[in-house]
Amino acid sequence: MRTAIKIDAVPRPARGKNEARRLRAQGMIPAVLYGGYQDSVAVAVNPKDVLKILHSKTGHNTIFDVNVRGGESSPAMFVDWQYDPVKDTLLHVDLKRIDLTKRIRVSVPVVTHGEPKGVKAQGGLLEIVTREVEIECLPDEIPEQFNVDTTELLIGQSIRAGDLALQGSMKLVTSADNVIAHVVALRAEAAPTAEAAPEAAATPAAGESEPQVIKKGKKEEEAEAEGKKK
Amino acid sequence: MPLMPKKVKYRKQQRGRRTGKAWRGATLAFGDYGLKALEPAWLTDRQIEAARIAMTRFIKRGGKVWIRVFPDKPITKKPAETRMGKGKGAPEGWVAVVKPGRMLFEMEGVSKDIAEEALRLAAHKLPFPTKFVARPVAE
Repeated sequence: MRTAIKIDAVPRPARGKNEARRLRAQGMIPAVLYGGYQDSVAVAVNPKDVLKILHSKTGHNTIFDVNVRGGESSPAMFVDWQYDPVKDTLLHVDLKRIDLTKRIRVSVPVVTHGEPKGVKAQGGLLEIVTREVEIECLPDEIPEQFNVDTTELLIGQSIRAGDLALQGSMKLVTSADNVIAHVVALRAEAAPTAEAAPEAAATPAAGESEPQVIKKGKKEEEAEAEGKKK
Repeated sequence: MPLMPKKVKYRKQQRGRRTGKAWRGATLAFGDYGLKALEPAWLTDRQIEAARIAMTRFIKRGGKVWIRVFPDKPITKKPAETRMGKGKGAPEGWVAVVKPGRMLFEMEGVSKDIAEEALRLAAHKLPFPTKFVARPVAE
C-alpha cells in the first residue's frame, strides 16, 4: 500500500562487517537499495524509521519513498529484514525500488476471526497453518491483510488459500490447496501418559540410550574386505 | 521412551563448540507464543521432557505445543573411579546443542496469560535463562 512516508538513506562507501558494526554503534543500520533496472546502492538508514513502518498496519507491504542523500528518490518497499536473535534489534534491511505500474509478488498476512463451532461445541483446537499468502497484484492494490471468518468451522474442516476473497486484479501465487486454518481434535493420549508416569518418562534406564547404528552397505564391506586381502 | 534418534551413523561424537548465536530456528514458526534461550547450553532429553510435561500439565487439554529442539548429539561418560585413558567412555545420554536466541518451545490455542505461566514453569526445568516471546501485534 502506498504511503506518504519518506525515509532518508545515506550512501555508505565502506563495506564489510567491521564497518557495519561501527555503523550500528552510531545508531544507524546498513541497508541496500536495488531493483528497477538500476544499480544497487549500499546505504545506511535509521532503524527507528524502518521499525515504524514494519510495525505499522500495512507492515512490510508498505510502499514509501527513499531519499538517497545527493541522489535519487524513488518508491520502495522492504524485501528482507534481519533481527538479532537475542536482542531483537534490527540488523539489516533490503529495499527494492518499485515500479508502480508493474505487478509485483507480495506476501499478505491472513488474520482469522471468531471462535469456531468445532472449538466451542466439539472441544477441538483451531490451528493456524498458514499466516501469510503470496499474491501478485499492482502495488496500489496490495491489501493490508486478508480476514478469514472461522466461526463455522467444525472438527476436520479447513479454510484453504483458494477460499480467500481476492479483489481487483489480484492473483493467488500460493497454491489454492494450501490450508490456512483448520480445527483439529485434541489428542487424548498425550496428557494422561505424561501425568500418570512423569518420573518414569523423565528418568529412562541407562541402557535405553542406544539407537541403532547404521551399518555399512554390502558393496562397501566387500570393497573393504578386498582391500585387506591385497 | 526418551527423545533420541532412531538410527545414527556413529555411536559417539566429539564435543564441538557452542559459539555464536542461533541464526536459524530463532523465530516463531508455528505457534503464537514461544520460549527463547538466552545462553548457550547442552539441553538433555530429560530436561526437554520435564519442560514438556510441566507445560502440558498446566495447559491441560487446551492448546498445542511444539518442541523446536531435538537431542541428536550423543554424550559419553566414563564410569566412576576409572583411570584416565583406555578410550572414550560409553554413551550416556542425548543432548540438543542450544545457542542463544534459539526458539525452544512454541504454543498455540491458549490465552497469553496461560501461555506465559506454562512457559514460565517449563523455563524452570531448563539450565539457562530464557525469554517469553509472542507474535507482534500491528500498531
